[in-house]
Amino acid sequence: MSLRVYAIAYLIFLYAPIALLPIFAFNDATIIAFPLSGFTTDWFGELWTNTSLHTAVRNSVFIAVMTAIISTLLGICAARAGAMAHFPLKAGIMGFIMLPLVLPEIIVAVSLLVVVVQIFDLGLSNWTIIAAHTLICTPFCIAILNGAFQNLDPSMEEAAMDLGESRFGAFRSVTLPLVMPGIISSMLIAFTISLDEFIIAFFLSGVSPTMPVYIWGLLRFPASLPVVMALGTILVALSIILLTIAEILRRRGMARAGVADKGGFL
Amino acid sequence: MTALITLEGVNKHYGDYHALRDIDLTINEGEFFSLLGPSGCGKTTLLRTIAGFESVSSGLVAIGGKDMAGVPANLRPTNMVFQSYAIFPHLTVAENVAFGLRKRGDLNKAAKQTLVEDALDMVGLDGYGKRAAHALSGGQRQRVALARALILKPKVLLLDEPLSALDKKMREQMQVELMRLQRHVGITFILVTHDQEEALVMSDRIAVMFEGRIGQLADAETLYRRPRNRQVAEFIGKMNFLHADVQAVRDAIDLEVQGLGRLQITAEQSPELRDTGPAVVGIRPETLGILFDGETTDRKLVDGVVDEVVYYGDMTYYDVRIQGVEAPLNIAMKNMIGRPVLDVGAATKVIWDERALVLLK
Repeated sequence: MSLRVYAIAYLIFLYAPIALLPIFAFNDATIIAFPLSGFTTDWFGELWTNTSLHTAVRNSVFIAVMTAIISTLLGICAARAGAMAHFPLKAGIMGFIMLPLVLPEIIVAVSLLVVVVQIFDLGLSNWTIIAAHTLICTPFCIAILNGAFQNLDPSMEEAAMDLGESRFGAFRSVTLPLVMPGIISSMLIAFTISLDEFIIAFFLSGVSPTMPVYIWGLLRFPASLPVVMALGTILVALSIILLTIAEILRRRGMARAGVADKGGFL
Repeated sequence: MTALITLEGVNKHYGDYHALRDIDLTINEGEFFSLLGPSGCGKTTLLRTIAGFESVSSGLVAIGGKDMAGVPANLRPTNMVFQSYAIFPHLTVAENVAFGLRKRGDLNKAAKQTLVEDALDMVGLDGYGKRAAHALSGGQRQRVALARALILKPKVLLLDEPLSALDKKMREQMQVELMRLQRHVGITFILVTHDQEEALVMSDRIAVMFEGRIGQLADAETLYRRPRNRQVAEFIGKMNFLHADVQAVRDAIDLEVQGLGRLQITAEQSPELRDTGPAVVGIRPETLGILFDGETTDRKLVDGVVDEVVYYGDMTYYDVRIQGVEAPLNIAMKNMIGRPVLDVGAATKVIWDERALVLLK
């Protein structure tokens, strides 16, 4: 009984603040406080006209898409090697590439800033953020793709080769379709992580900020807070949709490969 | 008989591990050949070497007179049935069977479909084409794997422990079906198995492997009746071993056998050994007998005491102690009308015959 109360309290604590976002996004007042003063969609309308916000969103989406593609490609290589190849120090190496998962982002951000600006003397741009986001997203991708690859029977590719396919043909015609749900799921999660990542983007963005950095900038002007709420509402909805699709695809993949679901990333 | 596969001096190392040691082997066209041995003996490595999944460290592998060095699995005239069957779960049964036909530009869609239907028909799965592969039972998966491999008309079909995942009844049924299928298609089958009964039942010839070497290569009957050494004799079926002393080797062999006394055997009963001195004699349990009350025999008898009784329904296995031998003799008796099942401790007479002995290294 007490465990149930704890669980419910925990969920309220976790999600109630997020529920406030849509409430104030539709509230007809610039001050974020109860009681609510009326319903409006003005704040969403304002999102449409704000061109600097549009630039920020475009930056973020570009960075997130590139990050999703690159980190998933890297994840495929690592997960396939982890599942099918045998090499010395394998456990150590696999652990080492998962390390960015637990590194504090602020440290990654500062050290990358030093590397990019001081050592390589490169300008900051969307690409520096993409590189950094790839670094932090790849372990997540590996974690998701590991599941997909480890459920594969290693004889599968050999069987395809035995039936006339080349090594790459076997990968393309058998392995890839079987891990495709994992790949899509991995891309969606990398996309979501990158889209709302703040610290690294804050340190490494050039002249044109990403969306989270832009939102942070808006917070200094109380009048624009409801616009942030509106934007936040859209982001929350988008994140939930993307993660749900990712999980559905992962489960469908498990069912298609005909294996028992041993609990996924979500 | 024409040789199809030739292996000469094949060695395979994995680091320090010597998986195959100087394998010389010839497998004929149309033969049902088995590689038999305990796990880790190198039989699967040898099969994978023929399939092209493993390279050899040294030696020659030739199929149909062509050296296979550097030829990858997809270009070899071999097809394989994997232990896990490796049925592609994202495809239907028909798509699985048609997988190897993808590269065949000379066949149109209708021709491919006919081939698929024929292949499914051959393995008894006609009408299953549209089913999802992951919804099949173990036996059905195996049939799909067979159809998928045989549709390409390979020179050799390689079978890696194909029956080990099936239950006993299904396994016996598939043994018969595999033999019939092999006679029907007429191509060489190479079977890897650790089950000696499976190998004896199905194969024309069997290579028994231990620790990367071929211990003996022979047909089932020779392997069973005239094993070359104690290792082979122990692995194939049950065998009683008695210490012996070889006293003279002429046309016949004179020897003194523990518990049985002085006797003479023919040279044919000693496949390998030609020296005098200590040796081991093997006797199969079914070549020994027990003299029941009221029965007579013109064969030799030795006194014994029943030590253990194992009743199998059609057979009873007795362990009988005889004077001068530490280990009891294992004797297999058919249960017939009028024959009682003896009790432990009963005094009895063991029937034996020197013609059933085999002298081992």
